[in-house]
Amino acid sequence: MPLDRTTTILADVAGMLRSVLGDFGDDAEITMDTTFRDDLGMESIDVVSLAGRLQARYGTSVNFALFVSGLDVESVGELRVGQLVDYIADSLAKVPATS
Amino acid sequence: MSMVRANGIAQHVEEVPPIGAHRGTVVLIHGMTSDSMASWFLTLAHPLAEAGLRVLLYDLRGHGRSARPATGYRLDDFVDDLEALLAHWGVDGPVHLFGNSFGGTVAFAYAARHPSAVAGIVTIESAPPTGEWFTRMARRLARVTETLADADAVAASRPLMARRMRDASALLAQTSIGEELPASALPDAAAFAAVDCPVLCLYGGESAVKELATATERLLPQSKHVVVPGQKHTLLIKAPDQVRAEVLPWLATHVH
Repeated sequence: MPLDRTTTILADVAGMLRSVLGDFGDDAEITMDTTFRDDLGMESIDVVSLAGRLQARYGTSVNFALFVSGLDVESVGELRVGQLVDYIADSLAKVPATS
Repeated sequence: MSMVRANGIAQHVEEVPPIGAHRGTVVLIHGMTSDSMASWFLTLAHPLAEAGLRVLLYDLRGHGRSARPATGYRLDDFVDDLEALLAHWGVDGPVHLFGNSFGGTVAFAYAARHPSAVAGIVTIESAPPTGEWFTRMARRLARVTETLADADAVAASRPLMARRMRDASALLAQTSIGEELPASALPDAAAFAAVDCPVLCLYGGESAVKELATATERLLPQSKHVVVPGQKHTLLIKAPDQVRAEVLPWLATHVH
């Protein structure tokens, strides 16, 4: 089960990354080990611009500002996609089930 | 990413909702050329949300992921953008404005235009729009333009910097910011008399911007000025812990 959830979130996040990257992102392979800067060429502003997309998809249960707080403009690029995916999975697991 | 059309151009905005009781609203405004909302988002967005503030961020025109029109870079254009975005966000009560470098100047200029609409101002390495400050900015823009003329060589040696430099370079080479901004009409000194909100100004000890503190105090006698030793103009991104240690306790005395 948790594996399925990770796969789903990774697919969601990869979609968001492709739209942030525009044409450039079309054939980028995005895995848990992909780094934002070295593999995808993202700048800190590109990472930050994920905020609105994550909010639209997950609402307030995923606190992206908390996730990146304390990272600086350089180290935010060193993040791996998997770190964000795991953070989303953990955040969603803490939300009480409604049904 | 959230794009909105405001004041006639596409602008990139983000929002972080307050955690717990809602105690007010803050807009975070970044600096010129190679800056973007990221420097605020990574350093203060979450702590301010935790303090109960609705946190609003945007990329200035010509910067980050906002549009880069060929012209329209007078100080008034930047203030008009902020006005339009506040309307978009539906902010009607007094708002806190935080500005880094030129972003602080936009905050002061907005306050001069709408004194009663501002609850508080925090600036980093900044000054109100005065002739002296704009002369310094003009020199800085000219210097950056010169440096970036060499952008290709620098980009080749530091590929990771490449896009940010290309963007800053395009802003300076393909728009009129270098001519328009220094020639901006500035608010009258008298306009600041009505600005009575609390003001906190931070400076880096190794930066020349702190020389403007005396002039700022004359315009805004209530302003508090703090110099962080050892820091340069990059105070916000290089010493975020020290910035938070000054800003958050100050804010707590003004936001209840």
